[in-house]
Amino acid sequence: MSAKTYTVPIGPVHVGLKEPITAWLDLDGERIVGARVRPGAIHRGIERMGQERNPIQVIYLAERICGICSFSHITAFLRAVEDAAQIRVPARAQYIRSLVLELERVHSHILWAGVACYSIGFDSAFQLGMLMRERVMDVLETYTGNRVNYGVGTVGGVRWDITPEVDTVVRDMIRYYRNEFSAFYDIVTQDPVAKARMRNVGVLSYEDAIRHCALGPTARASGVRCDLRWSAPYEAYGDLDVKPVVPQDYVGEARGDVFDRFLVRVLEVYQSLDIMEKVLDGLPEGDIVFEKSVVKVLSLLKKAEGTGWGIIEAPRGDDSHVVHLTSGNENLTWWKVRAPTYANAVSWPIMFIGNDLADAPLIINSIDPCISCMERMLVTDAGSGNEQILTREQLLNMSREKTRRMMPA
Amino acid sequence: MMRRNPDYASEALSSEDVVSRLRARLENVAVERRERFGGRENSVQYVDLWIRPERSQFLRVVDELFAIDFPHFHVISGDDVGENILLNYHFSLFRVAARGGRVGVSVCVLVPKSDLKIPSLYDRIPGIEYSEREMREMLGVEFEGLPMKGFIFLPEDWDENVKPWRRDEEGLSPDMIRDLS
Repeated sequence: MSAKTYTVPIGPVHVGLKEPITAWLDLDGERIVGARVRPGAIHRGIERMGQERNPIQVIYLAERICGICSFSHITAFLRAVEDAAQIRVPARAQYIRSLVLELERVHSHILWAGVACYSIGFDSAFQLGMLMRERVMDVLETYTGNRVNYGVGTVGGVRWDITPEVDTVVRDMIRYYRNEFSAFYDIVTQDPVAKARMRNVGVLSYEDAIRHCALGPTARASGVRCDLRWSAPYEAYGDLDVKPVVPQDYVGEARGDVFDRFLVRVLEVYQSLDIMEKVLDGLPEGDIVFEKSVVKVLSLLKKAEGTGWGIIEAPRGDDSHVVHLTSGNENLTWWKVRAPTYANAVSWPIMFIGNDLADAPLIINSIDPCISCMERMLVTDAGSGNEQILTREQLLNMSREKTRRMMPA
Repeated sequence: MMRRNPDYASEALSSEDVVSRLRARLENVAVERRERFGGRENSVQYVDLWIRPERSQFLRVVDELFAIDFPHFHVISGDDVGENILLNYHFSLFRVAARGGRVGVSVCVLVPKSDLKIPSLYDRIPGIEYSEREMREMLGVEFEGLPMKGFIFLPEDWDENVKPWRRDEEGLSPDMIRDLS
């Protein structure tokens, strides 16, 4: 490291996410030579709040952990409660849960792809991503009445059935994305500038991904063939042949860079469309919940005793919820939530090292937190004591300017 | 014991084989096998194991898991249970080995409040850092060998003598809790 380095804190963070992060980057010129990460800027104590609520009430609390993967969180939570209380979920409800999980994955990945393009100055792709994402949100609204927190899951099943009308709008949506999502597929297969900005940037090796317990698309982009829908099938995935999407199966090798993370997510959108079609084709007849009376469910839960673990493959990686129920206590005794970014953020310092400051927004975004988490950053020249405030806009402009330098005149 | 390289086993043992192996090598350690059901036929899709060693046996259990596969770490959950702090380490074995091959492993250890220490696994699994730091600040458990001691989730100006998840006098006092209306 040269004598003159700069320390750049990125943060504080956006209030709307479970995974707010502050990062301090040590710079030698424009090159990142060290990084430290500090999460928890808006820890809300949500797990402790759960200790004063019964499992049905906690569903609606768990839904508010994350605005994008709200159903993933409650599915992991419900599976933990169902594990502790030994409740079996009817097959139709399992299929419906899988359908909503895939709708959420499509929503999350399209949003991410659009924002990733925005951070490298590819604004037309960003606008296209925002436009496309509306379609899946409309479908979720048609089914549940809500665009973000759906209120559709409950202990032992789901609250709303899939009607023929919902079936139709989901199939229309699948057709729409199969035609229109190719724009993002083209970015990862044909666009030389996008490739130049993302190739060999923010690399996480296979070994580091394992040692640092990386998850989901972040781990798969490093070549780790992991996907809980495959290795530990839950809900309807036991009947569906879901294979982990890893770059080596498509382009011959996994480099673990931002480009591979983009590739994995784009391919997973197509995978989700196929899964949704199979779910609708194979939707079993029957009940959608093991017990319709909430009073009876609460009575059963109050008698339950034990610790349950629910783990599912959320859009950003595996999401773990652990709960303990004590007989005679209607509220949760304790509850632990491990959102995917909690694990993936541990790998951030490794991804930063050796990259340019202008790549920092792209690297932060590549594990799929929210780019708007970055509100501002402070640059300190340790040698001269000079300080300079860089706004989020300035940081983004640096990233976009780097793209422009690569464009042909 | 020699450490396993950071790689996953390419072939899964059955959960029954894992249980037999652990029971044979870890005398007096309770191992519970829990089947998880799913799909149209509501058949067994995967299996979770719950292992309850004494604190003195904790590292031996972890080493036995390492001998089977690199244990992918998920999270530590825990609670204040009177004279002890309960820590549950949640791992996966055979994460990449086969369809339906993953075996979930929860290692549940009671740590007495009179000697609130347990060896850190940071040198074996760097990805455990956030979870150990979280349990340190929320429940007051000292992880021996963990180099990072700063707060991870609590604010910088938090009184480090107050442990938010403790149920005894070291936990939150009523005046620190704002009830929602």
